[in-house]
Amino acid sequence: MRHGKYRFLLGALTLPLALYGLLVLWPYLQAFYLAFTDWTGVTSEVNLIGIDNFTRMWSDPLFLAALRHNGLMLLAVPLAVIVVALGLAAGTRGTRVYRVVYFFPQLLSVAIIAVLWQFVYTPNSGLLNGLLTGLGLDSWRHSWLAEPDLALWCVIAVLIWSAIGFYVVLFAAAMESVPADIMEAAAIDGAGELTVFRRITLPLIWDSVQVAWIYLGILALDGFALVQIMTVGPGGPDNSTEVMGLTLYRTAFTYSKFGYASAMGVAIFFLSLTLAVLMLKFTRREKVELA
Amino acid sequence: MATVTYAKASRIYPGTDRAAVDQLDLQIGDGEFLVLVGPSGCGKSTSLRMLAGLEDVDQGAIYINDKDVTNLPPKSRDIAMVFQNYALYPHMTVYENMAFALKLRKTPKSEIDVRVKKAAQMLQLEEYLGRKPKALSGGQRQRVAMGRAIVREPQVFLMDEPLSNLDAKLRVQTRSQIATLQSQLGITTVYVTHDQVEAMTMGHRVAVMLDGVLQQCDTPRALYDRPSNVFVAGFIGSPAMNIKTVQLTDGGAVFGQLVLPLTREQVAAAQSEGGNGQVTVGFRPEDSALVGAGDGGLPIVVDLVEDLGANANVYGHAAINGGEERFVVTTSRAQMPSLGETVYIKPAADHHHAFHAASGVRI
Repeated sequence: MRHGKYRFLLGALTLPLALYGLLVLWPYLQAFYLAFTDWTGVTSEVNLIGIDNFTRMWSDPLFLAALRHNGLMLLAVPLAVIVVALGLAAGTRGTRVYRVVYFFPQLLSVAIIAVLWQFVYTPNSGLLNGLLTGLGLDSWRHSWLAEPDLALWCVIAVLIWSAIGFYVVLFAAAMESVPADIMEAAAIDGAGELTVFRRITLPLIWDSVQVAWIYLGILALDGFALVQIMTVGPGGPDNSTEVMGLTLYRTAFTYSKFGYASAMGVAIFFLSLTLAVLMLKFTRREKVELA
Repeated sequence: MATVTYAKASRIYPGTDRAAVDQLDLQIGDGEFLVLVGPSGCGKSTSLRMLAGLEDVDQGAIYINDKDVTNLPPKSRDIAMVFQNYALYPHMTVYENMAFALKLRKTPKSEIDVRVKKAAQMLQLEEYLGRKPKALSGGQRQRVAMGRAIVREPQVFLMDEPLSNLDAKLRVQTRSQIATLQSQLGITTVYVTHDQVEAMTMGHRVAVMLDGVLQQCDTPRALYDRPSNVFVAGFIGSPAMNIKTVQLTDGGAVFGQLVLPLTREQVAAAQSEGGNGQVTVGFRPEDSALVGAGDGGLPIVVDLVEDLGANANVYGHAAINGGEERFVVTTSRAQMPSLGETVYIKPAADHHHAFHAASGVRI
């Protein structure tokens, strides 16, 4: 019996593990290796150059700008998405229609979202400026994606908009698993709706919120596709929407510095990993089980 | 200290025609322990939740101490509630669970501490104050739920089947604990249960409900001795009362060979308004006895004998007017018949109940 079980496990795991090793682990290892070389991607000539790529990265203004922008996104996106999604989920408790509507953006591919919002932000015929004119707020009109001070915030807004729907559904499902009588007990104990939310609901769905922080953190470290399609350059006016993914992409495929790009990839990998660990550590609370 | 008054209070759920609670009229005195009892779906829990403010009152009003609370939110009613599933806050310790309401009211920390510790002592929860609900047994959780209500020192306690998740032995124990606690604290209590034994043993008065309508509200003894209709007669008492609709004569109700005597007034009442020459009569299993063959009893064939230790329930059937009717009699163990035997049952004199055949009202 025991013997047969292992044979079954071995049979079931061999192919997936082999594919995972070949397609996931091997490229990772290659990237780690290339990060220490000056490979150009077009020749077979590869020279080990030690940690030169990494030291260079720390004095590369473009990469540092990208890092700063991702940092800003990291501060803004998860917080905004979680706050808004929690509010919407709590506000629409028991009504499914709204949740379906909120979920719509999740069904669109990032490329389509980027193109749609590009139209919204277009200066002369765009929806946003049109709306502002319609409201008599002509002075608020902007060339949204062309102004260095605004472009990144425009990207951040789209990132938030596109992520909220999923988290509304996630939080709503978590809230539904909180027994109604617990909330009723709190109401009878004298808690208003806000207190019930803060003292009862939120602690009881904290697991979901914690997961959301991590996913959204990783999302905020990316942003490549939106920037690539939506902003001018790409990378925005005066590199104001440059993100790490975009720098990496351009370094590799435009400037043919695959070694340097690999080093950036390795840096991003460790940043994401550190972030996930930190998020888990700081949001950790004692596990709550519904008794 | 408070009185509670339901004044024609109704709850009609949206999308339904029939009221879940239909014009409930009920006065509950200060310090009284009132039990709402009835089968599932009779509206007893809904009535309680209306008083708690968890359920809208569509018509009529509810007063606590002459103050109209019909449209007040739960938190403004100064009530405490014990839920069937206890509804403890899973992320808080026993202490925090009990202190929550006081904290929200900004009670000084020292006073919270005194009150929580006092309640914990009353309920033997002192050693569990630092635990989370998950680490407690069912009985302990139930006591925490009680404690959470007690520390509030509310005007009214509401309890929604608080014992139904406990095992049989613990239920009996806790039953007496709650009754004792209530009389010590003297706080007006409304208690919902589907268990008529709980209702009869705990309540100062018991309100029996069916299909959203209050059937009778009286002391346990009065409910047992003078049920106001057929439903109450059948609901209160275990095993249930033998209730049969039979032929009416001038002298009483004809039960095969047996005639249950009725007064002249009872016969007259039975004949009124569609009585159709029939009357519904009932007698309790414990108000009847097995007699000898020649003593004028009703012969029944024994189907089942339940030996309860102290006494025994004898179930049997008899052919009356061509139909087969079932009966149950409580008898001493010494008199226990065997299966298939024919025995003669005879209700004790003046211990039978008569009801109108059509309306079911006591006559």
